[in-house]
Amino acid sequence: MAKDCSTPSTWGRSDMSEPAFQSFAQWYDGHTAIKHEGEAIWDGGGLLRLRGASGSLEVPFADLEFGEERLGETVYRRASEPDFRLILPADLPPGLASKLPERQTYGAWVDKLGLGKATAIFAAVSVAAVALFMTAPEWLGPRIPQSWERNLGDAMVGDFGNRLCHTRDGDRALTKLLAKVDPEQEKVRAGVANIGMVNAVALPGGQVLLFDGLVQDAESPEELAGVLGHEVGHVRERHVMTALLRQFGLTILLSGANTTVGDTMFGLAAMGYSRDAEREADEYSRERMAESRISPLGAARFFERLGGDDEGLTGWVSSHPGPAERAKAYRAAARGKTFEPVLTAAEFQALKDMCQQDPDVESFDLFF
Amino acid sequence: MHYENNDADSAFGFDGNWQDFAKIALPNLLLTIVTLGIYRFWATTRERKYLWAHTRFVDERLEWTGKGMELFIGFVLVMLLFFLPFSLIGMVSEALVARGQALWAVLLTAGSFFFILYLTGVAQFRALRYRMSRTRWRGIRGGSNDQGFKFGWSYLWKTIVGQLPMGLLVPWSMTSLWNERWNKMSFGPYHFDADAQSGDIFGRYLLFYLAPILLFVAMAIAAVTGGGIGFGLGGEAGTGVGVGLGIAIALFVWFFALGLIAAAFYAKYFREVVGSARWKDLRFGFEASTADWIKLYLGDFVLVVLTLGIGFIFLSYRHWKFFIVHMQADGNILLDELTQSTTRTAKHGEGLLDAFDMGAI
Ligand SMILES: [Zn+2]
Repeated sequence: MAKDCSTPSTWGRSDMSEPAFQSFAQWYDGHTAIKHEGEAIWDGGGLLRLRGASGSLEVPFADLEFGEERLGETVYRRASEPDFRLILPADLPPGLASKLPERQTYGAWVDKLGLGKATAIFAAVSVAAVALFMTAPEWLGPRIPQSWERNLGDAMVGDFGNRLCHTRDGDRALTKLLAKVDPEQEKVRAGVANIGMVNAVALPGGQVLLFDGLVQDAESPEELAGVLGHEVGHVRERHVMTALLRQFGLTILLSGANTTVGDTMFGLAAMGYSRDAEREADEYSRERMAESRISPLGAARFFERLGGDDEGLTGWVSSHPGPAERAKAYRAAARGKTFEPVLTAAEFQALKDMCQQDPDVESFDLFF
Repeated sequence: MHYENNDADSAFGFDGNWQDFAKIALPNLLLTIVTLGIYRFWATTRERKYLWAHTRFVDERLEWTGKGMELFIGFVLVMLLFFLPFSLIGMVSEALVARGQALWAVLLTAGSFFFILYLTGVAQFRALRYRMSRTRWRGIRGGSNDQGFKFGWSYLWKTIVGQLPMGLLVPWSMTSLWNERWNKMSFGPYHFDADAQSGDIFGRYLLFYLAPILLFVAMAIAAVTGGGIGFGLGGEAGTGVGVGLGIAIALFVWFFALGLIAAAFYAKYFREVVGSARWKDLRFGFEASTADWIKLYLGDFVLVVLTLGIGFIFLSYRHWKFFIVHMQADGNILLDELTQSTTRTAKHGEGLLDAFDMGAI
């Protein structure tokens, strides 16, 4: 089509008869389906003149936009006339081609950068975004106000109503125990859940549950103080919120927004916290016990029993660091100190009797 | 200008080739991966531009004018307006269960099920409307002035009623919904007419009810012969293995038979519904036989398996080509009467839901 274009012309000077500035053209006006055929000619200024048997018109180059490339043809549109279409041969004379808008392939950004560069940049941004997303729970969790977490927890789990064991003496003993390991003004909400497993959990909303199985297994109130202090540690160090965010992020990632909070909530107990979080919670527990002059030897003995082959204890073992190592840390904390008993024998017994003596306690089947 | 198409040539033609399509689809795959999926809206748009541009209707090519950004914004809106509330509903019903309010939780879940069904109808309508309004032929586009909210209700009740009498009314619900949505569509100044009848596809539909009987017979035969062969080879122990193997083979055959029945039904369904569609003086037809559909899906399967999955990027190409190659039309088009559509199109804001683009026609 462009036969005699080997000699470069000076684009500034124009000559309409010169074949370098004209081409065969087809167009639709965007109002009817009638096809117009004729010639497209650069007028030397900012206008493209379309001349055909069925009519002519002038289109400013500035108004033309690249539409698409198709077999041997290029389609241009007009910004001011959304359905106007100008169809020109793909191998245009260079004089005309230089006036027309450039072709686009991938979309504005990728075209500007080139495919290779764009791929590299997108990949880098994506990796950064993934990294930010993956670490978000660690830095975002502690920054979420406790009151929000409490509201969220209430919305998710509510109070457990009659599924927690209550007796007058038992409640009193638990309050006393809690006061020694949770110095904050606004205490976490602790309860003994009517479940036979040897376990304890910290739930969203500052709720800590000791399972009755664990209470029955305990040989001294100091053991319970150790476990309770540990769970309070999870709440106070914001591990619950962190784990919640992590779990929530995972569910979003894995299944879109299609999450059942039931899985989320008790996925927590199953998934547990990171080993660092467990160590932090242990440290928190030891510090509180030291302040309240509670012997950490009870907790140490608890972990030593865990390390043995008592099968009932696997639940707690699986999500926590090695019990032998933890027992050692508790023993070390006891060195050279004197302690006071945390509960009287009667109070400890009241805790043990709580679930048996509560007349209207319900079972927990719904959850576990 | 008066155009008549009485040639032996079909009114529809496709002249794309898979090598050119690969040059679009492979970079699309790459960009989609490195943008964690976000590019896929632009990828879809690029693929459609190619497919539309290589599709000829009578004497001019189609043009896709949709934009990746539209699809992206549509996706974000759908996430915000629908999935967020639904996950909240999920949380609320969990909380209700936790409080022992199981009845309310059940009601809430049932309510959201109906709402999802309603939205599916709206989405189907809007996907069709979106595609019509983004398709140009000779500078003319299609569309609909209907928002699809009424269609959502029809979809809800017709789908449920269709299932009620042991699923016997499913063909009726499918054809009547087809008619309902196509009668709301137009291209240029003329609207479409569709009057597909369910009676014509009902016979094929009954084949589905044969499937369980087929399964039972096949299992019995396979178990007995398998057991017999097993006994011949390995005595008592061989019998067990033979029966198990026989049943496994029967199950495999059954799934294959179910696929054949589905192919037979959908082949007839598409011939009926497309064949019932008119646009002004033009009648449409779809000529794919059951064997054509089976070849299409077997081809898909082989392609994806042999390329270890990469071949899936060619599926949209194969399906579009299949659709166009089997499309027919004849009748007259008066080009000078064919003026621009006056249906409302999505510009910003209100119409963005147009981009609710899920499965088509
Ligand atoms: Zn812990």
